Amino acid sequence: MPAILVPTEKWAGKVREVTLGGDSRKKVVVGGETTLPFLHFDGVIPHAPAIAIDVEDVAPQNWSPVLGAVWGDVMREGLAAWARKAVEAGADMVALTLRSADPDMGNTGPAEAVEAVKKVLAAVDVPLIVYGPGIAAKDNEVLVAVSDAFAGKRLALGLCEDKNYRTIVATCMANGHIVIANSPIDINLAKQLNILITDMDMPGDRILMDPTTGALGYGLEYTYSVMERLRVAALLGDSMTAMPMILNPGREGWRFKEAKTRDGVPTQWGDLEGRGIAWETTTAIAQLQAGADILVMRHPKAVGLVKRAIASLMATNY
Amino acid sequence: MSKYIATAAIRGSHAIVLEAEKTLSQAIKELGPDTPVAFTNTAYFLPTIYGYTGTKVQTLGDMVPIMEKARSFLAPVPADRLWLPYLGETLDAGVATLFAEEIIMGVRFVRGEQPERMPLNGIKVQTSEVSGAFTSPDEEVGAGRAAAAQSNGHYTLNGPIDDIQLRTWGIQLVDGRMPGFAAIVGCAKSNEVAVRIVRELQRRGILIFLCGNVNGRSIIHQLLEEGVQLGYDTYTVPFGTDTVSAIYPLGFATRSALTFGGMTGGQARDILLYNKNRVFAFVLALGEVDDLKYATAAGAITYGFPVIADTLIPQILPTGITTYEHVVSMPFDEIEGKDDLERADRLVERCIEVRGVKIRMAQVDIPVAYGSAFEGEIIRRDAMLAEFGGKGGITFEYLKMADSEDVQDGRVELEGPDLDTFKEGANVPLGIVVEVAGRKMQKDFESVLERQIHHMINGAEGVQHIGQRDIAWVRIAKGSYQRGFRLRHLGSILHAKLHADYSAIVDKVQVKIYTNKAKVEELREVARGVYNERNIKTANLTDESVDTFYSCTLCQSFAPSHVCIINPERVGLCGAYNWLDCKASYELNPTGPNQPIAKKGLISAEKGEWESANQFLYQHSNSTFNRLTLYSVMDAPMTACGCFECIMMLIPEANGFMVVSREDTGMTPAGMAFSTLAGVAGGGQQSPGMMGHGKYYLVSKKFIPKEGGLKRVVWMSANLKESMESELREACQRIGEPGLIDKIADGRNATTVEQLMAFLEEVGHPALTMESLI
Repeated sequence: MPAILVPTEKWAGKVREVTLGGDSRKKVVVGGETTLPFLHFDGVIPHAPAIAIDVEDVAPQNWSPVLGAVWGDVMREGLAAWARKAVEAGADMVALTLRSADPDMGNTGPAEAVEAVKKVLAAVDVPLIVYGPGIAAKDNEVLVAVSDAFAGKRLALGLCEDKNYRTIVATCMANGHIVIANSPIDINLAKQLNILITDMDMPGDRILMDPTTGALGYGLEYTYSVMERLRVAALLGDSMTAMPMILNPGREGWRFKEAKTRDGVPTQWGDLEGRGIAWETTTAIAQLQAGADILVMRHPKAVGLVKRAIASLMATNY
Repeated sequence: MSKYIATAAIRGSHAIVLEAEKTLSQAIKELGPDTPVAFTNTAYFLPTIYGYTGTKVQTLGDMVPIMEKARSFLAPVPADRLWLPYLGETLDAGVATLFAEEIIMGVRFVRGEQPERMPLNGIKVQTSEVSGAFTSPDEEVGAGRAAAAQSNGHYTLNGPIDDIQLRTWGIQLVDGRMPGFAAIVGCAKSNEVAVRIVRELQRRGILIFLCGNVNGRSIIHQLLEEGVQLGYDTYTVPFGTDTVSAIYPLGFATRSALTFGGMTGGQARDILLYNKNRVFAFVLALGEVDDLKYATAAGAITYGFPVIADTLIPQILPTGITTYEHVVSMPFDEIEGKDDLERADRLVERCIEVRGVKIRMAQVDIPVAYGSAFEGEIIRRDAMLAEFGGKGGITFEYLKMADSEDVQDGRVELEGPDLDTFKEGANVPLGIVVEVAGRKMQKDFESVLERQIHHMINGAEGVQHIGQRDIAWVRIAKGSYQRGFRLRHLGSILHAKLHADYSAIVDKVQVKIYTNKAKVEELREVARGVYNERNIKTANLTDESVDTFYSCTLCQSFAPSHVCIINPERVGLCGAYNWLDCKASYELNPTGPNQPIAKKGLISAEKGEWESANQFLYQHSNSTFNRLTLYSVMDAPMTACGCFECIMMLIPEANGFMVVSREDTGMTPAGMAFSTLAGVAGGGQQSPGMMGHGKYYLVSKKFIPKEGGLKRVVWMSANLKESMESELREACQRIGEPGLIDKIADGRNATTVEQLMAFLEEVGHPALTMESLI
């Protein structure tokens, strides 16, 4: 068979490498790509995409029953057990959401936030991502406390948005953490936020970009397109789009009726468990193809499937 | 640089360096060079020295080389006869002074003389004083503190701010929640003035550091005598009664940069720039300024912190090291104001202005709810208390730029009767004059800001606003009136919102509201004169008269390769952004979607092609396009996102273009309706012969000049012809084709090429005889 000449592209840029964890704990490095996802013949992909699993500091009330069936016991047992089970399920890192700080979910404060993080750090030694409840004022309150209390642990803290980036960035700078810069599915806003964050003298290798996830059937194609363009811009040499990307297929993939409704749906939809897992998996794999470096996921089976996909995509001798 | 100040500062630095040398050598002699030195509760050694030099002073012996360095910075005191530029020497003297002061403080710590124990000498510390959150004194905490102070006969001042508090405040300074800090040195004219200054600063959320004295009396004494609570909780920190203690605020500034700026000791330049650009601090010198104060002030200036004095001293107004003026003198008794309290207010205002501190308005202070949810609210006649404008009414709104000294921030005046006196349902004249001052304010921004009045006022619950300029129409609901809404609140809204949304260009806002018919009519004439001037100016704003165009990439979220390049004579294709809007938007949001493009490297004046614009396009269109002409639709025309008001398209048979409005749902001679055309013209593609544009582009002098301008338009949507009739007729007149508009076909007489050609030939359209387009 005649040899096929694979056309290659010479990119000028490179995605930045970001290290999470470390300091006597396990560390995970993401990013560093010099080519589009998994085109090993074209450039270097030094680190496989990593998977984080979601845990929350109070048992979630509106998660799909399918997730409840898997995590229900550890949700009741407590955060440490949940984090341990997440690592057993294959998580390279744990993503803790401080849900109880939400004014509607208990409105807890900095002390409880620090306590929750302490539990997870004691239970597992993988890197930790910490999300606030998603309300800028409360995020600032609890994330600043967590940042101060665990200086040097290289946690990833988020979300850092247009509204509150100064506070989160300042505290991450002071304590050696990583910021998760979140923008609403828009390449220019993503880039602008990175510029604003680096303008505060935050080193570029301590920023993760979250371009916001749409789930399969709920805007995934927008996310996909924005991610693709961010990555192409980065490879063309734009340093302000060259941050590794973190996406939340778990949160989004399990949010909609397809992943939650058991009864009264067309029979072609199949059983709820398989459907939900497929929804999360498909969302996650599409994001891998668009350049995701960290996927924050929920169902162990979906994690398993995505890990298998990563392993085969990272194999260079296909 | 003022020679007087230079001389005083250099003289002051010599004295303090000498004093520090003596203090240090005495301490080493008595205690030994290995005696440890530390500021309590901080991990930054002697922070100013650490920031400047990277040296971690941990013992008395470590101070010796620093002392030598300070000495080496000292220039000779300028001789009377000598006139040289002294800036460098003076700043060096300032740095030497800071080193010396920090060394003196270090030694005092070793000797247990810091934090300072200030003798009370009969001052009664208020027992209500509960601010216990002080760094250092551990023997006196909380409410017991006042009692302890009373029984000890001394009041323990704060040492350096501890690291925990540094983090709390530092992060607020960096993220903007805290607008800045004021280092007050000396003693105010009276206790009353001291309290007023502090209250005015506190009201704005500015952190206050107190140091120094004048003839033994310090502002700290003044505030304690008046029962003002001092401490972390009230953002008022007394450091010491001598000038040397002014080193603490600068140490705090250094540590902020080290903590939140990601810097390490020795990165002097970065640390100073960080403070200049991000920590909005200033020095307020109250009372006589002696040599040591000048020398310390020179040190503060290296951080970009300006000095404002309430006495007569030489000023240093040119900017350079600081963002604005370096040294400003505002002799207290000469400040305009009816009493000392008003003078104190003015002094604080001036400080804020000199440092460029941006004040954040937390909320709009009015008795009704405020938010965008109320913007679309309609107030019916039976629910309204009164209306202004509308049918037969007289109103106007006018925003003008004014000199800073003529604007008193937050002042709202009403001239004429208020809502209380109106008969229900009355139509009352209303004039709103907004005066705006700002360092970055430009005359050109007046109209941009004035247009915001509409949605700002509309945000109030029970207030409806329609229109602008002299066709504004306002209604106020009975319910809002009953909850206390009065006309002055219109001013409060504008003040708060202009600060909140336009702080980049607005520093001060005052509003005058008029309801007397005669006055409103008189001022409306003035405003009309200005509207007219602005119209003329906008009309005269040509591409040739500017050296910068602006980009707009707002729509790249859905049209990734599209870049609008906006010149004065072509409004953005959406019709929403003109060149002035882009210019203002860039000032407001320098990293935003509107970026300046210098007009450089002219390639073709005829086609409107510049190298700089081409480069910009290439960089920002995902490398999709490398050429763009501003004046031609046939060669590399502007791409379009999809927001266009109109689409122009070549009709080859007619040797001209048709222009289709987005409001036109009918068929066009091209055989496609607007929606189909939009699919071809949008999405960030460059299609010669086809282009999206704003409707006012039609009447621009730069309307496709390369192809011959308006004379090339052979067909136009009827709604455009009707809604823009007068403007179009004027444009036709201008190009010497007064009857042209009637020669342009529309959907009523041509929806096919055959019909179009028949029409054009019948009317004798000029395009038919023009040079062939293809």
